[in-house]
Amino acid sequence: MTAATMVTGRAHRRIRPQRVLLHAFLIVTAALWLIPILYAFYTALRPVSDTIQHGYVSLPSALNFNNFINVWSLAEIPYYYLNTLIVVVPGVILALFLASLVAFAVSRFSFRFNVALLMMFTAGNLLPPQVIIVPLYWLYLAIPIPEIIKLPFVGMFPSDNGLLYDQYIGIILIHVVFQTGFCTFVLSNYMRTISKELNEAALVDGAGVWTIYRKVILPLCTPALAALATLEFTWIYNDFFWALLLMESGAKRPITSALNNLQGSFFTNYNLLAAGALLAAIPTVIVFLALQRQFVRGLTLGSTKG
Amino acid sequence: MASSGDTPRGPALPDPGTTQLSRRTVLKGVAGVAGLAGVSAFLAACGAGATTAPTKAPAASAAPGGGAASAPPPAASATGQVTVGSNNSDPAPKKGMQLINAAFTQATGVAVQMNTVDHNTYQDQITSYLQGTPQDDFLWFSGHRMRFFADQGLVTPIDDVWSSVKSNFTSAFATAVTGNDGKVYGIPIDYYPWAVFYRKSVFQQHNYQIPTTWDQLITLSQTMQKDGLIPFAFGDKDGWPAMGTFDILDLRLNGYDFHIGLLTGKQKWTDPKVTAVFQQWAKLLPYCDSQFAGLTWQQSADKLIQKKAGMYLLGLFVSQEFTAAGSPADLADLDFFAFPYLGTQYDAEKALDAPIDVIMMSAKSRSLQEDMANAKAYLDFWSKGSTQLIMFKQGTGLIPTANDTDTSGYSALDKKAVQIVSEAQKITQFLDRDSRPDFAGANGMQSFLAKFLANPNQNLMALQTTIQNFWDSLPPET
Repeated sequence: MTAATMVTGRAHRRIRPQRVLLHAFLIVTAALWLIPILYAFYTALRPVSDTIQHGYVSLPSALNFNNFINVWSLAEIPYYYLNTLIVVVPGVILALFLASLVAFAVSRFSFRFNVALLMMFTAGNLLPPQVIIVPLYWLYLAIPIPEIIKLPFVGMFPSDNGLLYDQYIGIILIHVVFQTGFCTFVLSNYMRTISKELNEAALVDGAGVWTIYRKVILPLCTPALAALATLEFTWIYNDFFWALLLMESGAKRPITSALNNLQGSFFTNYNLLAAGALLAAIPTVIVFLALQRQFVRGLTLGSTKG
Repeated sequence: MASSGDTPRGPALPDPGTTQLSRRTVLKGVAGVAGLAGVSAFLAACGAGATTAPTKAPAASAAPGGGAASAPPPAASATGQVTVGSNNSDPAPKKGMQLINAAFTQATGVAVQMNTVDHNTYQDQITSYLQGTPQDDFLWFSGHRMRFFADQGLVTPIDDVWSSVKSNFTSAFATAVTGNDGKVYGIPIDYYPWAVFYRKSVFQQHNYQIPTTWDQLITLSQTMQKDGLIPFAFGDKDGWPAMGTFDILDLRLNGYDFHIGLLTGKQKWTDPKVTAVFQQWAKLLPYCDSQFAGLTWQQSADKLIQKKAGMYLLGLFVSQEFTAAGSPADLADLDFFAFPYLGTQYDAEKALDAPIDVIMMSAKSRSLQEDMANAKAYLDFWSKGSTQLIMFKQGTGLIPTANDTDTSGYSALDKKAVQIVSEAQKITQFLDRDSRPDFAGANGMQSFLAKFLANPNQNLMALQTTIQNFWDSLPPET
C-alpha cells in the first residue's frame, strides 16, 4: 500500500527498471504468501460433496458460507475461543508483568548478581520444553491446588480435581514460566536504552523504586510491551503442546483442539476443517491489527536506539 | 459439582452456569421418569453397591407430573454418576454418544460425564491418559492394543459384567475382548470389515465378473487398465492403509496363526513366508494407483466415486466418503467382495481384517470406587443392540456387535458386511491393532511398508532383516 502511494507520488520521475523488478518481486512474493490462504478460503466456500465429485482443483458448482455456519456450531468455535482466551489473556499479562519487574531490576540497578540473574532468565529460553515433559506431567499430577489459587473464573469450569493437572491455572502458569525468560530478555535490553539520567532525576524528585518503575520506566516501554504482547498472544494462542500434555479434559482444551475434533476416526470433511481453521486464525489477526502500530514501532525503535 | 457432561452446546457463547443449571434440571427430570418407567429391577441389580455420590437432589423430587407413587424410585441406584472418556469427537459419532448417554440417564437415573478428546490426540496419549486421571469407562480398540494395557494393570477386568451379557455376542467377539490372562476387559461395541469395494454400475457397464481367484483378479485388472480405469485405488499418505493389503495377503498365503505370531514376535520377519507376501504384493502393485504415496484414503475413495478407479481394498468406512459425496445413488451403488483366494490351505479360513471397537473400564480413575456400580451399568448398557443402534443410526458406517441388534434398518451393504464377517473362520484386528504400537507406528511398520512400496523389486531379505532388527530393538512390552 505504502509502496503504491510512493510510486504515484513520484510519477513524474523516470521509473527505473530496478523499481519495476522490485515491485514484480514484491507482488510475486505477496501472491505466494496469499495463495494458500485464498485457496483455503475457496475450499471452505465449497460443499464437501462438490469437491468429492469433482476434486479440489476444479471449478465450483456451488459457493456458499454453509461450512462457516456449520463449523461455528459443530465445532463449538465460540466455546473454544473462550477456552483459549482464559489461558491467553492472564498468561500474557502475567508474563509481561513479571518480566518487566525482572527486567527493571536487572537493567536499571547495578548489583552483584545482576548479569547472572539476567543470564539465568535468558538461559531458560534455551531449554526445550520437551526435555521436561515427563517430570512436569508427574509434578502436575502430584501438586494439589491450594484453595486460594482457585480464582473465580477457574472455579466456573467443570471437573475440579484439586490438582494442578487438567486446570486452566496449570496451563497459565506453565506459559508464564516459559515465556517470562524471553520477555525479560527483550524488555531488559529495551530498558537499557532508556537513559540513566531519568532514574536519577526521579530519585532527586523523591520517587521510590516502585514509582520509578510504574511512572517513569513502564510508560516508556509501551512500544516494547505492545510488540511483546502481540508475539506472546500469538505464541500462546497457537500453543497446543502444553494443553495436550497437562490437560486431560477435551472440553477445556484450546481452539486448536476444536479443529482436531473435526477430524474423524476415518472420514474428515476438509472443507469444514478449512472453514474452522480460518475462523480460528481470526483472533490473532485482530490482535495484530490492533497492536500493529506499536508492534512495528517497538521493533524499529529498539534497533535505531541500540 | 460443576458437571456439565461434555462441552456446553449451542452456537451462542455458552454461559456454563446456565448450561449446567438447565441440564441438571433435565437430569432430575429424567431421573424421576426413570423411576416411573419401572426399571428398578435392572437398577437394583446393578446399583446395589453404589455409594451415593454427592448429588444435590433426590431423584424423585423433580419428577414432572404426578404418579410417582405407583413406582417409587430406587433409593441409592438412581443417583450418582459415571465418567466416560470418548474419542468420538467428530460431529456424527459425538452426537451418537450424547444420545446414548441421554438414553442411559433416562434408563438408570445416573448422570454421564463425558470427556471427548479428538481421535488422534486420544490415541497418542492413551498411555499417559490411563496412568493419569482417566474416566471410569473409556472407548478403545480390541486385540493387542487392549491386551497391552490389560497386562500393565491399567484397565479393570469386567468378567462379572461379561458373564451376564456374553450370550449377546458371538465367540469371535468373546475372543477379541479376552486378555492374555483369560479375563475379559471390554465390551465390543462395533466393527467393520476390510474387503474389496467397487461400484456395481461400473462392473455392469463393462460386464466385469467378481474375481474369486488370483488369476481372475489379475485378468480383471488388466481389462480395467485397457478400459482406462485404475484397477486398484490406493492411497497410503497416512501410512496405515497399506497395512490392510499386507494383512490380507499374509492371511491368504500363510494363515491366521502365522500372521498373529508374526505380529506378536513369535514368528520372525526374516521368514521366507514373509518374502512370499511381499513378492505377491509386488505382482499386484502395477495395478494399483501409482500416486498412492501422496493420496489419503479419502482422495483415493474419490477416484472410486468419480469412476476413475475400479476397485479399492479398504474398510467399510469408505462408505462415509460416499455418504459425504451427497448422492444417495452413489452410496447404493457401492458394493464389495472378499479378497480373492490364492489357492492355499488357508483359503478355508476366509480370514479378514474386521477391527472391533470396545468400551473398557480404566483402573486409575479417581472416582471409580465411588462410581463402580454405575460404570458397570454403563458397560452393560453398551452391550445392548438398542444402544449400539443409536450410534449406527448416526451413519458412522460401523456395524453393531450385539446379537439382539434390530437389523431392519441395515442397508444391503451393512447386511453383506455382517455376512462376510460371520462367515469368516478367523478375524484379525488390522496390523496396527494386532501388534504393539511402537512397532506398528510411523517409525516402524509404516515406514517399512512405505520403503517396500517405493521399490517393490528391492532386496526383500535386506528389508525383512531391517524389520526384524527393529522388532528386536524394541524394549520388553511389560
